[in-house]
Amino acid sequence: MAISAKSQKGRRARASVLEFLVFTLPLLVFLLILYGTLLWNIYVSMTNWVSTAADYNFSGFKWYSYLFSQSRFWVDVQNNLKWLILGVLPTCVAAIFLAYLLELAPFPGVESYVRTLILYPVAMSFVVTGTIWSWMYQPDKGVFNTLLGNLGIDSPLTYTNDPATATYWLIVIFIWQYLGFAVIIIQSSFRTSELQEMIEAATVDGASKIRILFSVIIPNIRSGILVLVSLLLINTLKVFDIVWIVTRTGPGIATDVLATNMIVTAYDQRLFSAGAAIGVIIFLMAFIIVIPYTIYALRKWFE
Amino acid sequence: MKSKSTTLKIIVFVVLVMLTCAYLLPIYVMITNSLKTLPEIQQRTYLAFPQIPQIQNYQSALFGSRDFLIPMQHPIINSTIITAAVTALAAFFGGLGGYYLSRTRGTFTRVIFVLVGIALYMPYQAVIIPLTTITAKTGLINSHFGLILCYLIINLPLASVLMGTFFLGIPRELEEAAEVDGASKIQTFFTIIVPISLPAYASVAIIIFTQVWNEFFIALTLVTPKTQTVQVAMAMTQGSTISPYNLQMAASLLTVAVPLFFFLLLGRYFIRGILAGALKG
Repeated sequence: MAISAKSQKGRRARASVLEFLVFTLPLLVFLLILYGTLLWNIYVSMTNWVSTAADYNFSGFKWYSYLFSQSRFWVDVQNNLKWLILGVLPTCVAAIFLAYLLELAPFPGVESYVRTLILYPVAMSFVVTGTIWSWMYQPDKGVFNTLLGNLGIDSPLTYTNDPATATYWLIVIFIWQYLGFAVIIIQSSFRTSELQEMIEAATVDGASKIRILFSVIIPNIRSGILVLVSLLLINTLKVFDIVWIVTRTGPGIATDVLATNMIVTAYDQRLFSAGAAIGVIIFLMAFIIVIPYTIYALRKWFE
Repeated sequence: MKSKSTTLKIIVFVVLVMLTCAYLLPIYVMITNSLKTLPEIQQRTYLAFPQIPQIQNYQSALFGSRDFLIPMQHPIINSTIITAAVTALAAFFGGLGGYYLSRTRGTFTRVIFVLVGIALYMPYQAVIIPLTTITAKTGLINSHFGLILCYLIINLPLASVLMGTFFLGIPRELEEAAEVDGASKIQTFFTIIVPISLPAYASVAIIIFTQVWNEFFIALTLVTPKTQTVQVAMAMTQGSTISPYNLQMAASLLTVAVPLFFFLLLGRYFIRGILAGALKG
């Protein structure tokens, strides 16, 4: 009796180990590879790999100080800051405004129309979006200046050909692409029954629509805003495709960002260690950005 | 009250007109100009309809022509193979991993969850040099497997979180009943959870598909002539000043056709996937 109970217990233990492995093994293996490559990359950034042949001799933080001494690196940092601020803030404000407007919309069918209209870019790649927008931005043969010319306006704008403002025009493309995504996320945080009740109560009390937005809705969708801001910050930090396609970091290096500098440094100049160092810097910035979001996600997941 | 709702109507109307212009103009210009002849493009009447729709522009973009040296045919096949494989594997493994994350509560699960959470937003620049080395050393770079492996590494955490979010919404009673009947967790998962989660799998598949199909940085870095993806080919047409706008636009539409088709046909799943990705589902 005792023996069979024991073997049954052993079988069950073995079965639960098997279950554990079936469910987690693929995920664990791929996570291991991912974090392995990350650590590997951190090590590469501290070696002296400067040609096609890998060199794994430790050389400290040499390439980090090399980067910090390059003016190009500081151009990147400035441009990345522009992206982080101007890519995120206007998108959030516009998304909150639009989502609220859709809640109030006095015409039927507006919501599904707007959703389809502004969400379709989510399905498109930045390569394609960049291709069409770089044609629209073209100073002499472009769509915008041609249309303005048809209206009798001789447009002085040269868009992404003007080094001083090129990055801002690139950010416009990003906002265009992400607005629908942002509206969807904000809208879903409107749709809680608590918030709807609060809005109703405030309406009964005679609060104006603008007052309701600022003192009832915005304070109560903080978690939705946190999620949206984090996702947008990460996506603007990682921005690569738009810059590469539309301006290829130009004019000169006026629109260069860390992500484009990384590929130029590592794959064009063959300074793999310096490229790896840029990768590490981008990772650290991303890591700082996702901390609040991860804490929020942990709480929500395990509540 | 009445005057207020009139102002509201005006605001909504103005915003609608502005949004319609901003979002229809690019796609309108793209479609109409992809059907024009080169002389028509050179007249710069970009808003006009094509005089005679030039369907053969798509043939040139797909198979190449004198004016268009980067035929999209093989890149489309490559992208289809890579994206389909990654989507299927990521959804399958992500379902397993996500189920574990949604059904256990221990410290181990929390640690994995944090690792997955950070992996979701891993900048590709921070792992690309080792990925290049691995795929080059193993020779995987010469076949589709190189990109499939890289995309799987990058996208499995996302697939797991998305699936897990959906599983969190499934009541436990279903599984408990099955376990009382003596079914193992694996049996329960495949016979009870998977069949009722097919819409969730559809959402995750659409999200992963779109993401992989549209990915550019890794594809650009690991590109070989045999495995060139649509985005890389598209970037080459854009980079070359020789390819005329009408053929460039035709190639653009070929590049976005598949994901855009999914979006227009299965928009609901798309939105659900986006919300699950934002942990709001």
